[in-house]
Amino acid sequence: MPETREAAWTPEDLLEKLNQRAKFFVLDVRNRDEFERFRLEGREPLPAINLPYFEMLELGGQDEMVDSVVACVEKELAAQLPRDQLILSVCAKGDTSEYVAQGLRRLGYKTIDLAGGMRAWGEYYATRAVIETPALAIYQVSRPARGCLSYVVASDAKAIIIDPLRHLQPYHNLLRQKNLTLEAVIDTHGHADHISGGVALAAETGCRYWLHPYDAIHPMDMLPATIAYEPLRDGQIFHVGNQQLEVLHIPGHTLGLVALRIGDNYLFTGDSIFIRSISRPDLGGKAEAWAPLHAHSLQKLSKLPDSIIILPGHFSGLDEADATGLFAASLEDLKRRNDGLRVLQQENDTGFVRYLLESLPKFIPEYVDIKRVNAGLLAPDEDAASTLELGKNVCALAQAYEAKSGAVR
Amino acid sequence: MSQPFDKELDARGMNCPMPLVNARKEIGKLQPGQVLKIMATDRGSVADFQGWAKIAKNVELVSQETETIEGASIYVHYVKRTN
Repeated sequence: MPETREAAWTPEDLLEKLNQRAKFFVLDVRNRDEFERFRLEGREPLPAINLPYFEMLELGGQDEMVDSVVACVEKELAAQLPRDQLILSVCAKGDTSEYVAQGLRRLGYKTIDLAGGMRAWGEYYATRAVIETPALAIYQVSRPARGCLSYVVASDAKAIIIDPLRHLQPYHNLLRQKNLTLEAVIDTHGHADHISGGVALAAETGCRYWLHPYDAIHPMDMLPATIAYEPLRDGQIFHVGNQQLEVLHIPGHTLGLVALRIGDNYLFTGDSIFIRSISRPDLGGKAEAWAPLHAHSLQKLSKLPDSIIILPGHFSGLDEADATGLFAASLEDLKRRNDGLRVLQQENDTGFVRYLLESLPKFIPEYVDIKRVNAGLLAPDEDAASTLELGKNVCALAQAYEAKSGAVR
Repeated sequence: MSQPFDKELDARGMNCPMPLVNARKEIGKLQPGQVLKIMATDRGSVADFQGWAKIAKNVELVSQETETIEGASIYVHYVKRTN
């Protein structure tokens, strides 16, 4: 270990700084391909340099890590690293970043490192209340690094969880803190970008897991899921305390996608309408067949009352959050500023379908396996699961991911 | 199956960057042509040794293996000093 252990930012600290638009510079010492696949992103582009630690060792040419960092920075990085800004040293698991921070401090740079590294940031969960009253509470449980959102809906000490993510502790903690009894777990669809915690959470809490039967078939393998699930159907009503959630079948992103509606007040849209954009129709490998269904479903959702609050399944950047860090907006607001909803209002069906098909981001090969995991067709160990989920979701149309990178090297 | 080697470095239980930092020191003590075997428990060492061997001037990554000992994965790297 380096001689002294100075304070590091926890993932929670980092999220707060990113939400505050704090100015800092990132020195990321992971492998180049890891950096390409998953990097820190803020509300605004973050200036960043990626230089793997083993390149620092060679460039610095010293035996010890800290000495090599000092020599390497003096020789190679002095022109690029700002003297007047805080430098956040980042590595994979939070060990090497300490050595790098130590070297930078020896040279007089203001430096802090990220505790637990990108692994901890990737697995950090944040919980925020959308509304919190005895009659109705909604908690948005997010995984900020991945842009994944899930929800705990509570009324009269009962709860339903929508789209729980892979790590279950945040949900157990919340249920315990708020004295809630979980009554049902619902996945809005068979996810492609992340491993669902739904089946495991239902098993651990003794309640039922619900999924639309169309998503209990892997769309590429055409194999039936082996997981235990209860079939969701359009128009079904879930009662939680004195609230009702209505199931709306909205195929498009997947064939079995559903939204959940609490009266005219809240709409959990799963992967249909997000804040900045809308979901892509091609992750089942059948974009041309699914895009018209998607168009039809979005038309249906856009006719709901304008005041309904949209609670999406993903975000593509922290800048989509409101001032309190919450990812939520009224349908009326999104009709003005959501890329996809704007086009939906301007174009006819053919034009909108063309827009969908022209806006597909790169296909992520891991997503085929993640859908297998969620259907129970594949069982990765912890390391493999973590690797499959590395990086931010790419579930929206391409425009949602533009102009996000601040990398300078 | 067994890859011949001249010296062994046990880096099990060490966190990043120590397996690579120590391997680099040991490589410096070998003669050109000699092979160092490194055993590590840090899974990240697999990609790191590959990346390091690509950019370091005098090392070649001969092979990598994963062994399972009592249920735990051991990542084994064979690195040759080339000059």
